Parts: sequence; structure tokens; C-alpha cells
Amino acid sequence: MSNNLYIDFMISLLAGTIRISIPILLPALGQIYTQRSGILNLGVEGIMIIGALSGFVGAFFTGSLWFGVFSAVVAGLLFSLIMGFLSITIKANQVIAGTALTILGTSLASFLYRVIFGIRKLPPIIDSFPSLNFLGLSKIPVIGPIFFNHNILVYLALFLVFFTWFVLEKTTFGLKVKAVGEFPRAADSKGIRVGLIRYICVAIGGMYAGLGGAFMSIGYMDTYMDHMIAGRGFIAVSVVIFSRWDPKRALFAALLFGGANVLQMRLQSIGVNIPNQFLLALPYVLTILVLVGVSKKVAFPSAFTIPYSRNSK
Amino acid sequence: MGKKTLLLLVVLGLIISAMPVLAGGAQEDNSDSRLKVALILPGKIDDVSWNQAMYDGMKTVEEMYADKIAVTYVEEVYEVADIEPAIRDFAAEGFDLIFGHGFQFMEPIIKVAEDFPDTCFALGTGFKTGKNTAVYDVTLGEGGYLMGILAGLLTETNKIGVVGGADVSEIYRGHEAYKMAAKSVNPKIQIQELYTGDWRDAATAKDGATGMYDSGVDIIWHSGDGIGLGVVNAAKTENKLAMGNVVDQNVLAPNNIISGIQYNWAPVIKNIIDDIINDNFMNRDDKYYWLTVANEGVQVTPFHSFESQISDEVVKTLQDAVTGISNGTIEVPHFQK
Repeated sequence: MSNNLYIDFMISLLAGTIRISIPILLPALGQIYTQRSGILNLGVEGIMIIGALSGFVGAFFTGSLWFGVFSAVVAGLLFSLIMGFLSITIKANQVIAGTALTILGTSLASFLYRVIFGIRKLPPIIDSFPSLNFLGLSKIPVIGPIFFNHNILVYLALFLVFFTWFVLEKTTFGLKVKAVGEFPRAADSKGIRVGLIRYICVAIGGMYAGLGGAFMSIGYMDTYMDHMIAGRGFIAVSVVIFSRWDPKRALFAALLFGGANVLQMRLQSIGVNIPNQFLLALPYVLTILVLVGVSKKVAFPSAFTIPYSRNSK
Repeated sequence: MGKKTLLLLVVLGLIISAMPVLAGGAQEDNSDSRLKVALILPGKIDDVSWNQAMYDGMKTVEEMYADKIAVTYVEEVYEVADIEPAIRDFAAEGFDLIFGHGFQFMEPIIKVAEDFPDTCFALGTGFKTGKNTAVYDVTLGEGGYLMGILAGLLTETNKIGVVGGADVSEIYRGHEAYKMAAKSVNPKIQIQELYTGDWRDAATAKDGATGMYDSGVDIIWHSGDGIGLGVVNAAKTENKLAMGNVVDQNVLAPNNIISGIQYNWAPVIKNIIDDIINDNFMNRDDKYYWLTVANEGVQVTPFHSFESQISDEVVKTLQDAVTGISNGTIEVPHFQK
């Protein structure tokens, strides 16, 4: 490969990595709150698809993309409250409740889309968020197309990495979240309302997941499709564990997974002499290797997936 | 515990009620002598792709044969775990002919067909058949060949691409023929090929196509389904050219979809039904029904707004290829791995 082609290849690879990582990063950041408070929410996938639909419906009927984002965040919040109710109020098994929520979300979104839009020959579309160019910064060679040529939701997601870190590490709310996840009885004895904090954390997780869903429908694509989340919610859950509940590491984990996926596609396209089945497995193989690598260091919150009750020992 | 169980039951109930099942036209009346036909689709009937083409084809035949068949449609039976129960249900309810529209229906159909020897089964693409089953398939090799000629002639950068879901049967043959035809009309051509590994993740396919455009590709053909919509979307975002598959996708991006392939399933469906009515389905040797360029099941879609930009020479070369494939002077190789 000549030098110029090599540079073009790298620009395309890195810009693609950033785009592909965002819908994994957003729900992962939200799940850091949820999991830190002791709840495993496997319903992220379902919440994301509800977010994708709500975001699209909101934007389609009002013509405002920001109203779409708002609808997605609210829908994500409301839908995640089902998880809160199941796991906190009635203390159901979180794995089962989360899985049920994913199935419910996937089917409900498909059903509602048909109810709202009916059967049509031409799918409804909107104009999605345009790329910003930062007063021409996107024209800078190499750096421009990689970092300054994305839509605003990408930068919002990157800001949320910092924001999530700040809330969890620098505020009393963050301290309460961790206390509830590590030692709910002690937190309770200090007057922290364990149930309430957990509800809030599940709801925040839902809002981030809803935003991640909206990124897919009105940020990356310009319509809603069933199955457009395609497992990203589950990948986000693994990214959280992989990053050991740290927002900065979650960013790197999401970039790693996204990057591996984009790399395998680019390699297939330019025709490297490796069977496509091996390349397709690359992101997953990489994930397993990293998970094996970090698994010894992973310390789950002590009260992870354990419902809290004052009455039980 | 009772409370939890109850709640999970409620949630489960909601899920079941939300299952998007369209059950229209089923006739429970025993006096109805019409053939009871079921069409099981892995996606939605308005997906502007694989499922829509089959649904439209079946609707055409249903109207034509209103006195001979009664058709029941089911959408979105995609997961392999859901397929076998769906087929078994229809067979047990006494349907005469069951269509499973996709490669993933192959194993379940073969399995259920053994238990219901009097029921006929039709499988949309695949390579296994039994006494009471048949395969209907599209010669995507021919379609890919025509698309390769177009792409090879229309590219200005001499770089073209092709994106597909998975490296299986007709998709593989379509891609191979596309590459062969493009090279035959343009020896300088460089071809990029990508399989995304699934049929529905449009966003991943979009990024794959964007990567191709980034590297100088100026026209991409996709071999269909949900991922194809990702390629169409990439063409629109990057303002480059793409060619569709299965149905005329120009409506999705009128400034970017220059042409494509469309399937007309009606002749094949009609053949199968005629054979069953004439008792020629189970005892025939050739268990394959092919949609071809010759029977006009595989067609090149109109150029729409690009009409004026396509030179007469290109139109003629394409037309010659269509004629050649139809009358057998051009034989697209049956690519095998």
C-alpha cells in the first residue's frame, strides 16, 4: 500500500471506529450507574430499541431532532422503571427480569411501529443530525475527518464520559450509589434510602440507553428499523464489566470493540487473504481475550444482583 | 414468590400480545375446497426488500387464483427456535402448502416434512429437499452478472464494491458473477467485497459501505435484505452511487440508487401451486423452481432520473447481456466453493 492510501485507510478506520463505538458507549455509561448501585439490567437492549423508536417518532411528527432525543430519553427512563419495579420493589431475579424486558421491548417496538405507521411501501424518513464541521476544523488534514466530522450526539457522548466520571467520583450522590452497591445495610443505617438510589440509577441507565437508541435511528441512520440495535445493548453490558465500572475505561473498551469491528470490515473490503468468517469473529475473539485478561482484576460491587430488604439477614 | 410469578406472567402476557403476527384470510370452514397456503416470512412485509418482494408475489397469485387458494401470512419469524414450531403449527392445522421464505427454514422444513408426509413444503433458497418439499430460489448469479456489467461500465474511479449478508448459496454466486462480469467489461477494475455476517444490522453495513466510498469506490451493489438498506443509506449520506436488490429501491434514495435487480416471485409461486393442483409436486424429479432472467423473475430496475446520463452504449451492452442470458448464449457459471 502506498503512503497516501495508507493514510486514507487509517482515517477511514479511525473515523468509523468513533461512529460505531458511540451506540455501545452511551448505554454502557448508563449501566455504570445501574451496576454500581447493585443492579444488573439485561434489559438494555430492549430499552435501546424503545429509545430508537421513540426518538424517531418524536422527530418525525414534530420535525425537531432535539424533541426526538428528548422523547427517547423520557421513553428510556419510563421503560427502565419496569426493571426498577421488578428488581427493586418486588425483588425478582434480575437476569430473568432483564431478559424479559429485552424481549418485551423488541416486540413492543415492532408492534408500535406498525400501529403508528401502518404498512407502507416507502418507509418514513427524517433528516438525521448533520456532521458539524467546527468552523472548518473538519478540513484539517487527517485530524479533521477523524475528530471533527461527526454529529453533535457523538460529542455529547464523549462529554458524558467526563460527566459520568464526575458524578460518580466527585459528588455525594456518586458516593451514595457506591455505598448502596457495596454495602446496602450500612448505607441504610446511615439514612441513605437504598431503594430510591437504586431506582434513580436504573432510571439514569434507562435514559442513557434511550439516548443510545436514538443515536441509531436519528443520529446514525435516518429511520427506524426493527432489530437496528442488533445486540449492542448486550455488548454494552459486557463493556461495563470489562471496564470495571470506570467511564474512561468504558470509552476505551467501546472504541476497542468498535475498532475491531471496523478493522475486520475494512480488511475484508481491501481483500486480505483471510476467510471472511475469521475476520467476522475478530471483535468477539478480542472481547473474550480482554475479558480473560481483566477477569482476575474484576471486583463486582459486593451487593451486585442481590435485592436489599431490611427484614432479611 | 406468588407476586413475582404473577408479575412475570403479566409481562409474558404482554410480550405475547405484542407479537406482531398478522393472521388474515385463514378459512376455518371445512367446506372450503381451496388449497390452504401459509407463507412464513422472516421479516416485515414492507421491508422494501426480501420479504416485501415475496409478499407482493404471493398477493398477485392470490388475486389471480382467488377461487383456488386461500393464503395466510405470518411475519417476523426469524429466530431458528421459532421457525420449527411455526411450521409445525401450520402443518398440524391442516394447511396444504407451507412456504418458509429463507435459508434458515431449511433444517426445520426437512424435519417437519418427515412428520407430515401429506403436506407440501416450499423452501426459499437452500439445498436440501425431500419427497414433499421443494426449493424455490433465485438465480442471483444472473442478477449479479448484470449488475457487474453496469458497475464495470459506469464507474469513473475503476473501483467498485459489493456488500452482502452472509457468504451462502445464491448470495455467494451473485457476488462471484458480479466480480466476473465487471472484470469482463473493465479489465482495470478493482473490486472490494464485504460480508457483514448477518442480514439485519443496517448500521454495520452502512459503515462498511462508507469505508468503501472513503477508499475511492464510486458504485456499490448490495445483495439484499436489511443490511442493503444500510448500503443505500451510506450512498445517500456520502452522495455516491449504489445499486439495489430484490425490489426497486430507487424510492429510498432517488439521487443515489442508479439501478438494481428486482425479483418477481409470482411465476414461481404460480408454478408450485399449479403443480400441487395437478398432482405433480411430490412425484417430480426436479425439486427446484428457479426465478431467472429468462422467465422475467429477475429484472434490472429502471434508471429513473439517471436515464439521461446513461450512454446508449451502456444500455445496449446491458440489453445484450439480458438477451444473451435469456436465450442461453451467455451462460453464467454456477459458482461452487
